[in-house]
Amino acid sequence: MNKLCFHCGDPIPTDLHIHSQLQNETREFCCYGCQAIAEHICGADLALYYERREMDLAKRATSDSSAIFDLLKDPSLYNEYVFQESNLHSIQLSISGITCSACAWLIEKHLANQVGVVSISVNVSESLASLTWDSNETDIHILAQAFQTIGYSAQPHRHGEQDLVQKNERKKAIIRLGIAGVGMMQVMMSAIAMYAGDLQGMEDAYRHLLRWISFLFATPVVIYAGLPFYKGAIRDIKTRHFTMDLPVSLGVLLSYGSSVLAFYTESGHVYFDSATMFIFFLLLGRFLETLARSNQNSQQTKHSLEPVKVIRDGIETTVPTQKLAVGDIAIINPGQTIPVDGTLLSELTNVDESSLTGEYSPVEKNKGDALHAQTVNVDQKIQLRVKQVGQNTQAATISRITERALSEKPRVAIIADTVAHYFVLAVLLTATITYGFWTVMGEAEAYWIMVSVLVVTCPCALSLATPVALTAMTNTLKRHGLLITRGHVIESLAQTKQIVFDKTGTLTQGKFSIINQKNFSNEHSADVILSIMSGLEQNSQHPIAQAFRPIQPAAVLEIQNITSLGVSGFFNGKEFFFGNLALMTKIGLQQDAALHVENGKLALFLACEQQLISVIYLSDVLRPEAESVLRTLRKNGIRLSLLTGDTRSSALSTLPVSWFDDYETDCLPDQKWQWLKQQGQTEVLMVGDGLNDVPALAGATTSLAMGASSDLAKLHSDAVLLNNHLRTIPEAIEGAKQCRRIIKQNLCWAAGYNATLLPLAVAGLIPPWVAAIGMALSSLIVVLNASRLNTL
Amino acid sequence: MESLFLLIPIAGIFVVIAVIIFIWAVKGDQFDDLNREGERILFDDDETDTKK
Repeated sequence: MNKLCFHCGDPIPTDLHIHSQLQNETREFCCYGCQAIAEHICGADLALYYERREMDLAKRATSDSSAIFDLLKDPSLYNEYVFQESNLHSIQLSISGITCSACAWLIEKHLANQVGVVSISVNVSESLASLTWDSNETDIHILAQAFQTIGYSAQPHRHGEQDLVQKNERKKAIIRLGIAGVGMMQVMMSAIAMYAGDLQGMEDAYRHLLRWISFLFATPVVIYAGLPFYKGAIRDIKTRHFTMDLPVSLGVLLSYGSSVLAFYTESGHVYFDSATMFIFFLLLGRFLETLARSNQNSQQTKHSLEPVKVIRDGIETTVPTQKLAVGDIAIINPGQTIPVDGTLLSELTNVDESSLTGEYSPVEKNKGDALHAQTVNVDQKIQLRVKQVGQNTQAATISRITERALSEKPRVAIIADTVAHYFVLAVLLTATITYGFWTVMGEAEAYWIMVSVLVVTCPCALSLATPVALTAMTNTLKRHGLLITRGHVIESLAQTKQIVFDKTGTLTQGKFSIINQKNFSNEHSADVILSIMSGLEQNSQHPIAQAFRPIQPAAVLEIQNITSLGVSGFFNGKEFFFGNLALMTKIGLQQDAALHVENGKLALFLACEQQLISVIYLSDVLRPEAESVLRTLRKNGIRLSLLTGDTRSSALSTLPVSWFDDYETDCLPDQKWQWLKQQGQTEVLMVGDGLNDVPALAGATTSLAMGASSDLAKLHSDAVLLNNHLRTIPEAIEGAKQCRRIIKQNLCWAAGYNATLLPLAVAGLIPPWVAAIGMALSSLIVVLNASRLNTL
Repeated sequence: MESLFLLIPIAGIFVVIAVIIFIWAVKGDQFDDLNREGERILFDDDETDTKK
């Protein structure tokens, strides 16, 4: 039976019985941390949280992280992060673990009940909280603890300049959208009255009033709300690369201009309604598109405070990472990420370098060895001498390669832009020729015929065709677990001809799993042996220990770490040793143990009283869906490549080469990117996860990062696989193709409509109101066609 | 029908006021978190219920 924790949704180990009577029901938990949090939440009358949250999972209770707030005891840092106004102090906190509005509600209610809190507000999209308190009654350390008791961890946060600029842009976009919406409604109302007047007669005085009203409301919409389009158009003209902005601006400005002329001379027809509606719909489309993507980006540009312990002048103090200087001696605890490059001063430790190399087994480091930023210290408390900080660390070097790769990224042709290019030229040419022709013929209405041509060819439907389809598809894919963060992804996914996979963490799960077990003892059953192993590993930060987490640990006492070898501890009064072959050698069991070493797998031995009890094999295993997904992709004619930083033998032991068309092992981050460039293909999709994939991700035409990737990998990829499920890749490619078909249909329809009416308009046969209604209808059809993508 | 000459401009003035309030609201950060505000009312309602 597989029960799930009431608080965090993780499976509860069998034989573990932690439960509480909450809300008149028995709730079970996976650990005491979760139980404490849930009891606290329900005890504070906040149980509504569990009913209202969107996903049945919260962050599992983690160790105390409020140490960060100790940094704020330094007055200079306190002033930097805390805004003070007499005794009212306020701070911005970035909170991890917020998933939906229920979390925000829980935090606000809980914090508001604390003594001394003046105000608290939580922003879900940005995972930020602003907290104001009375410094006479409480302090930030107590409040940080309050976050902890309900299962969230808070970090002091400061907005970067980039964030503020983006925030302002966003506000402006909302204001533009609001003005366009309200303005459009007013102009539409007047327009309907005027159309009715055209049909059943209307006194000139009223018509003139309505024209005045339309003019007054259309003007701010056209001038202020339409500004982004005109800026785009000016950029297009400067760079001579036409996008849809140019025909859009042209359509808006010409119909507005001619309407103003008609209004002023009290003749002809006004098109204020078309111009405003057009602006509103396009702004709406753009806004929804940015909204769909903004979540991801705001997560990535955090400027949070990270504490690190250093020894300066013989005294141990805590400073923020940013203030580490070359030559400092930093102290790194097991499980902590090393923030800088440095040299190891302690005797020995193991370091998980998977973020740099993709190799998931920890690497042994001896005194004097180099340690790299962004790697994780695994099993010893160590001291290191800082060699490089900030921009000079090896991780920062990868970032620099990445920037170069990004600037050389091949571009895919976006259909809409290609169409726009020819369209603009064709429209301008036709309008000029029409005007010229009718003027030569001595036609007094020549100008109005030209306007009618421009309105008929107004690229409403044409310029809506692509964005509405893309917005619909972006939302659909997000529902399926793929978050698109760059505009071109859907079009380039549809053209994918080659997919390059990283191995560790992408095709495989990137962590150790138990493969099989051999037992040599009659005294203990297999289950008991596993639980002894789990008990021995329960306090370890080593990646190997993760494999034993799902197993209920036995009560093992006096656990001791034997660096680089394994662990030992007492169970039922007997001493057990659990570790690698070297540990067995040390206790004199080498001959027995050596028989059971297998290639490509990690073998660990359990021994007691000079007897080998069990051997267990661990390895990184493939994601269960990997094989069928690769087969599907290949059947669809896509070339598959494998690019890994692992050694050849380690790569081949988990993955059959025959699944791929080509493969490359032992790749450094830079080599991965170079290899991609050599392919000379433009339609390449790169799928990866680690820091070592970042340059390749940035350099590939399209790139996809797994949801569990490093932040930098997500930042530089075009899409993020939120659900970590490879099956989503073929689905997304299929969806992208469908989207491309819809875009083509839309473009054909819009262009066809324009082409049919154009000759009639050129001949001066179309009354202006027919042109206006036709335009609205054709836009509607385009929007409806795109909405089919929502149901995929 | 002459009343239109008075009523339509008055309606226009209301629209302008509405837009000004809207801009004020956006500048006051009220539109910062579009995921959140739509659901806030649901939570507050229930909360008063549980207290009764």
